Amino acid sequence: MSGNASRGDSSSKRLLLIGGIAATVLAVPLAVPGIFSSQFLPHAFCYTGDAGLISAHLISDALIWLSYVVIAGTLVYLVRQLKNEMPFQWMFLAFGLFIIACGFTHFMEIVTLWKPVYWVSAYVKIITAVASALTAVALPPLVPRIRELAKSAARSREIQDELAASNRELEAFSYSVSHDLRAPLRAIDGFSQAVLEDSAGKLDEQSKADLQRARAAAKRMGALIDDLLKLSQTARSDMSRERVDLSRMAQEIATQLKATGPERNTCFTIAPGLVVVGDRGLLQVALENLLSNAWKFTGKTVHATIELGMEQQNGHKTFFVRDNGAGFDMQYASKLFGAFQRMHDSNSFPGTGVGLATVQRIIRRHGGRIWAKAAIDQGATFYFELNRQ
Amino acid sequence: MNHMNQKTILLVEDNPDDADLTLRALKRNNILNEVRVARDGVEALEYLLPRADQQKTAMPAMVLLDLKLPRIDGIEVLRSIRADERTQLLPVIILTTSKEQEDLINGYRHGCNSYIRKPVDFSEFMTAVQHIGLYWLGLNESPQI
Repeated sequence: MSGNASRGDSSSKRLLLIGGIAATVLAVPLAVPGIFSSQFLPHAFCYTGDAGLISAHLISDALIWLSYVVIAGTLVYLVRQLKNEMPFQWMFLAFGLFIIACGFTHFMEIVTLWKPVYWVSAYVKIITAVASALTAVALPPLVPRIRELAKSAARSREIQDELAASNRELEAFSYSVSHDLRAPLRAIDGFSQAVLEDSAGKLDEQSKADLQRARAAAKRMGALIDDLLKLSQTARSDMSRERVDLSRMAQEIATQLKATGPERNTCFTIAPGLVVVGDRGLLQVALENLLSNAWKFTGKTVHATIELGMEQQNGHKTFFVRDNGAGFDMQYASKLFGAFQRMHDSNSFPGTGVGLATVQRIIRRHGGRIWAKAAIDQGATFYFELNRQ
Repeated sequence: MNHMNQKTILLVEDNPDDADLTLRALKRNNILNEVRVARDGVEALEYLLPRADQQKTAMPAMVLLDLKLPRIDGIEVLRSIRADERTQLLPVIILTTSKEQEDLINGYRHGCNSYIRKPVDFSEFMTAVQHIGLYWLGLNESPQI
């Protein structure tokens, strides 16, 4: 960002410089005595008043002059429109100036058909010569830089193509996972159930329990696959950007969570008016994961509190979800956001270990970052920032 | 369940495990209609849209259609069903493993009547099949075709 800005600054300085020089150059003739002297023969005289010859010169010079003005105008317009996206802006402006100068030499050709102000015409020619020479000198050193730029543009197109290809592969992979990986699990669960129903009388308690364990494992694998697909979905989905009221979103999620455990006495504190710009669907998934994690890990806490708030940290809006639940050992904090990483055993707190990986992916897609502070049995706080560039 | 539609059910399913489990779930839910199983899209279309020289078959009460099938896939089968005058009004219920947006959109775009995702949990699957039977063979009225 700062690089762009300074490039913009220096190009406007250059523009000012070029304008200043042009103004001085145009003012000089007023100071030179005899510059408007017309004690020469006009060109029309040399052309012996031949109407055909005069109009041929007149029309061609007028056309050349007009076209040059239009070309120069177009260049200036282009530079104005593309502002920061266009490299070497000053070069284009210098081109414009050079073309206008060329145009005026042709304009002078028209004037001198009848008014022999040859000194003015010579002066315009000198200016054009200087502008041409400067442009000619400035252009060659740019060639390697422009080539570099073209190369890097080609490279970034290549990278984009590669990215698109790998996205398509991921898409195909997820599609296949979604269809093919779940079917065998349904067979494991279904046929275990079939044995339990059809041969219940022939099975001892241990065998029945073993079959139930096979069923539970199949179901768990099903849940893992579903969560994994959700994780990849958050990476693949198109992003929109709109104003999202995190406070209201959190209130709704809190209401839903409370409905899943009416016997629990958990206090939600949600700061009002936390509005951000981002993708509503993805932010919903992120907030759901963070709040339901807090809900899950305060399940065994007597006076459970869950808080959503915002504070300024180093000049950045930092949002946080804080609970006073089971927490975790900060020693393992680096593993927190890895897929399938769990801080607790499945018996005390069930889960697939994909939720925080999903949250991190969503926050990153919003140009932000997420981190956590916690201590065992003293709760956890998840901080996140969005749009941090 | 006398009021239930007694016509055949066409089950289009390539995975024999899934086919058996679906048959089992239907039986357990007392849905006693005859079930024809087509193992891929080609078989399904041969059954539904026999050529002039082939024997005509009675239209099923509904088609339970899997999407990922060998040879001709489910969406293609659905398109052929909707494109042919004989079958364009036939109730087609997509019964498949995925709930990818792409599949849902394609399914509805080409005119499925319902889209059910097969759960991994067989008890849930039983419930799903029970609902399908009660709704499509009991509650729902289909045009005579």
